[in-house]
Amino acid sequence: MNIFLRELKSNFKSLIIWSVIVALLIMVAVAKFSAFAGDPQMLAMLDGMPPALIDALNMRTFNLTTLSGFYGVMFIYFGLMGGIAAAMWGSDIISKEERDKTVEFSLVLPVSRSRVITAKALAALVNCVGLVLITWAVSLIAVRSYSPDRSFYAFLALEMQAMFLIELIFLAIGLLLGCAMKQHKWSASFAVAIILTTYMISILSVMQEKLDFLKYLTPFQYFDAGDLFRTGQLDGAFLLLSAVIVVGCLSVAYWSYDRRDLYI
Amino acid sequence: MSANIFRHEWRARQRSVIVWSLAVAAVIFIFLSFFSGFADQAGLINEMMARFPPEMRAAFGLNDMDLTTVLGYYSFVFLFVQLCLAIQAGNYGFGLVSIEESELTADFLLSKPVSRGQVLTSKLLAALTALVVTGLVLSVSSLVSISLFRNGRDYDAQTLLLLLLSTVIFQLFFLGVGLLVSLLVRRVRSVTPYSLGLGFGAYILIAFSGLFGDVKLELITPFKHLDAARIVHQGAFDTPLVLINVAVTVVCVAVSYWLYIRRDIPAVS
Repeated sequence: MNIFLRELKSNFKSLIIWSVIVALLIMVAVAKFSAFAGDPQMLAMLDGMPPALIDALNMRTFNLTTLSGFYGVMFIYFGLMGGIAAAMWGSDIISKEERDKTVEFSLVLPVSRSRVITAKALAALVNCVGLVLITWAVSLIAVRSYSPDRSFYAFLALEMQAMFLIELIFLAIGLLLGCAMKQHKWSASFAVAIILTTYMISILSVMQEKLDFLKYLTPFQYFDAGDLFRTGQLDGAFLLLSAVIVVGCLSVAYWSYDRRDLYI
Repeated sequence: MSANIFRHEWRARQRSVIVWSLAVAAVIFIFLSFFSGFADQAGLINEMMARFPPEMRAAFGLNDMDLTTVLGYYSFVFLFVQLCLAIQAGNYGFGLVSIEESELTADFLLSKPVSRGQVLTSKLLAALTALVVTGLVLSVSSLVSISLFRNGRDYDAQTLLLLLLSTVIFQLFFLGVGLLVSLLVRRVRSVTPYSLGLGFGAYILIAFSGLFGDVKLELITPFKHLDAARIVHQGAFDTPLVLINVAVTVVCVAVSYWLYIRRDIPAVS
């Protein structure tokens, strides 16, 4: 409990910074949306667009003049921000003890290593939940003036769940890196490598149909905003895949940290 | 400038340079290998797009981009390369002097008979060398990949050269801003969150502008200052924006010197 509270406190500033970034992103985006909102001319132009072009712009199923369509396009950025933040929190919360040379102190406390990880993971999880809730709240406030209908709120709720799941995956990956890397410096570098690689893969996977299989490799594509909009639910297969990744990463993390020679 | 510091800094960065160079080369190679398939599809799209009113094409940022040409497609790929380069340069910038404090080696370094100004100059030059080496690897891999995958299509070598040169200006911006921020905050514990935040933040702003049309806010992102699609389209830099970019870099570096020379650096107690 003490570790949990301490970690919450020391990560609070980081949560605030990420929240401000996400809030700014939403503000900028909604300011741009005002140019599109309900503009009949724009609607007519979009209607006249050939499907191939809409596909190329990754705007299928989205009508940018509606709030839901607009938020559909925004989703990939929410996922990206959430993923980066979660991966950073996950890897940093474990590896910082070695970096700041405090690991001896925290491990002579009368708690097992697993309990240390549990407390830290929970603190990082609270941060992730906090970031999603803030994104949600800021979105609700930002779109108020467009008086959205009920279906938008449902869609937004679904998007936020998907964002949370992406965060969970990257949090688990981050924790694994923090626990398993022999040198604390590597965990952050690997986290960057994984984020960049998965993001590039996610772009490749939508570029061409024959590369569609790549989407299994990148959490950013597990929950496609277009599918969310059409079906109104999260894809079961990808939910399962996410759960497998999270459980797998966490178990390896616990297993390896329990046995690891710590850098002092 | 102290040769010893330079050598030490360069050695410390060697592995990172190799990894980033390989990563950038891989991005170029993989994305360009899909060029021929994509160009055929994109040809259809371009054909249809020609029928649309110009203001609409501008709204989607497609005015400048022609995916059927080698350089048009390359400029699309170049955006992702820039993202990698931004994070690399940000890493070097944020870590340049803060690493001495976080690893408690600052007292050792600063007790040497070299002025702080010289320390910073040597470190900056070493980082610059690292960035230039990455840029060279990028250039070679671009030339090789383009000649492998261009499918008989022609391209303007001069414009390509311009694009490749732009990476140096682009990276110096992130190096400078990173350095300044690292001197403004009290303590940089870990470099990566900063460089990721700066790199992806600037990237998301430009990605937005592509989708939703122009807003003044994009003037602050170097991705816009050195917009590859625009350089390819016009065959030249957008001079005012590049000047803004260079000015910001110069101011950042100058203020960094001023701050670093006066900085109160905590010693090991």
